[in-house]
Amino acid sequence: MTEPITVVVVDDHAIFRSGVKADLDGRVQVVGEAATVEEAIAVIRKHQPQVVLLDVHLPGGRGGGGAEVIAGCADVRQSTRFLALSVSDSAEDVVTVIRAGARGYVTKTISGADISDAVLRVASGDAVFSPRLAGFVLDAFGTAAVAAADSELDRLSARELEVMRLIARGYSYKEVAKELFISIKTVETHVSAVLRKLQLSSRHELTRWAAERRLL
Amino acid sequence: MRPPLLRSSDALIAGVCAGLAAHLGMSLRAARIGMVVLSLLGGAGVVLYGWLWLLVPTAEERRRGVATPAGLRLGAPALAAPETRPARSLRTPGGHEVLIGVGLLVVAAALVAQQLGVNVQWGWLLPVGVVALGAVLAWSQLDEARRARLMDHAGATRAEGLARLAAGLVLVMVGVLILVSGSLSWEFTWPALLAAAAVLGGVALVLAPWGLKFWKDLEAERAARVRETQRAEIAAHLHDSVLQTLALIQNRAASEQDVIRLARAQERELRRWLYVDAAERTGNLADRIKAVAAEVEEAYGHPVDVVSVGDTPITPRQDALVQATREAVVNAAKHAGGAISVYLEAGTAVSQVFVRDRGSGFDLDTVPEDRLGIRESVINRMQRHGGTARIRSSDSGTEVHLTMPEEEAGTNHD
Repeated sequence: MTEPITVVVVDDHAIFRSGVKADLDGRVQVVGEAATVEEAIAVIRKHQPQVVLLDVHLPGGRGGGGAEVIAGCADVRQSTRFLALSVSDSAEDVVTVIRAGARGYVTKTISGADISDAVLRVASGDAVFSPRLAGFVLDAFGTAAVAAADSELDRLSARELEVMRLIARGYSYKEVAKELFISIKTVETHVSAVLRKLQLSSRHELTRWAAERRLL
Repeated sequence: MRPPLLRSSDALIAGVCAGLAAHLGMSLRAARIGMVVLSLLGGAGVVLYGWLWLLVPTAEERRRGVATPAGLRLGAPALAAPETRPARSLRTPGGHEVLIGVGLLVVAAALVAQQLGVNVQWGWLLPVGVVALGAVLAWSQLDEARRARLMDHAGATRAEGLARLAAGLVLVMVGVLILVSGSLSWEFTWPALLAAAAVLGGVALVLAPWGLKFWKDLEAERAARVRETQRAEIAAHLHDSVLQTLALIQNRAASEQDVIRLARAQERELRRWLYVDAAERTGNLADRIKAVAAEVEEAYGHPVDVVSVGDTPITPRQDALVQATREAVVNAAKHAGGAISVYLEAGTAVSQVFVRDRGSGFDLDTVPEDRLGIRESVINRMQRHGGTARIRSSDSGTEVHLTMPEEEAGTNHD
């Protein structure tokens, strides 16, 4: 293991921030914290961390929450990656931060080891999908193979569908790889491809979810 | 203390003079002479007599508790006997008698004045009377709170405010009177009307910002009240649920299992309240599966995470699927423990449920034949209703895969 991954934790609950800090293991180093949109943008600009753990709902700014932080940090986006962290169950919240540019989404009930894994995965450029996010993806893109008339971005390949289904069923990337007889790297490639589609697709469900939050 | 003003039974006509005499402490003769003299003065005595006859109760009526007309108290408060009846104010039904009384008084006073040689201008008096009557009527329509608010808004509670209000009212009345009395010919009335309109327009312009601000204040107040209501509702809900649960958690801090169970149950309840509109609770398959998961989680204390994609109404087949899911989750909670993942994919043609645990797994063939749980409640139930159940188990966990196709024509599943 080389240098620890630098992380900024953005959440408006001090209790939760200290909890995350305590949970993260030695592979990760917290270099800054923020509680509001403005603070977050300032702290991220200052420290330029590798990963930002970002709450979906944040006070301040124009009311855009986590998505607004990502949009406000567009100039440092080359080096910094965002992992959304939320207790929210609603599709529009999650889809909004993902479409703003977050590399993944995990729920706040995630364990310490899991969250460190997720941070490392995001830092290395991969996407992190929780079962629930996979569920949202399947809801948005549909679970059936879609007619080829759709744009490439607007549908999932059969393999991507399989991967999403397994993640929704609670499989880890490793288990997905074993199940489908492919390498973990291939699983990660599929998930990243899905993430890209999630961010760029103009599917009605996705634009509707995003539009409901008045952003993007 | 003076005796109350009551009509006496010792009466020539209606006992008014006798009552007056007793009340004012003069002799009966003097009272009667006074009344006759007043009557000769342009009929004032007659009017007074009639008025008192109408308004003053007899001793008999008093005893029976007949309500004394309010005019008695208003016109002459000292005459009232408050210890014998509840005080009532202008708003009580007596208000009409007051109006009648005041009107009669004014008419009587005018008659007297005319008799005395004063040239009473009826043309003036009539409009004044009408305007005054209208004002009094309007005033009496308002209840106490509104009156107080109106006084407050008009600034009538302060001296200068009162003066301003009075001056304004007098001006308006004078204007109306000049118009109505006909002391100006119509030739002058049109320019006057135009001028009046111009003045009113000017006043409206001047007052417009104030009116706008008033309107905005009103809107803001209404919005604030709505927010306050919402806040109160949220506070009540949080108190009933979250705070109670936190208290329970503090009490049971020693038992990890209890704390986890309470926290999970509260989380689920709060999520449901926050993110699911009451209208969206459909009772469809996804809701039923979530309810089942919640129930098992409650009973066994192991977290059960449900991810659902799509939804479909409940049919007898879907009902069987829900029951089988329940058994599978119970089985996982009992034998594997730890976190359990439930994934529901409901489509138009087929609905699938995956129940996954991370226990040490088991071999279906080694499960005794008589164990009802998995074999009867899950596999056989699914098959009876036209579905399938597959169980895959390894040392890294068990997954139960339930598939239920939609009803096909001609299939007899029971």
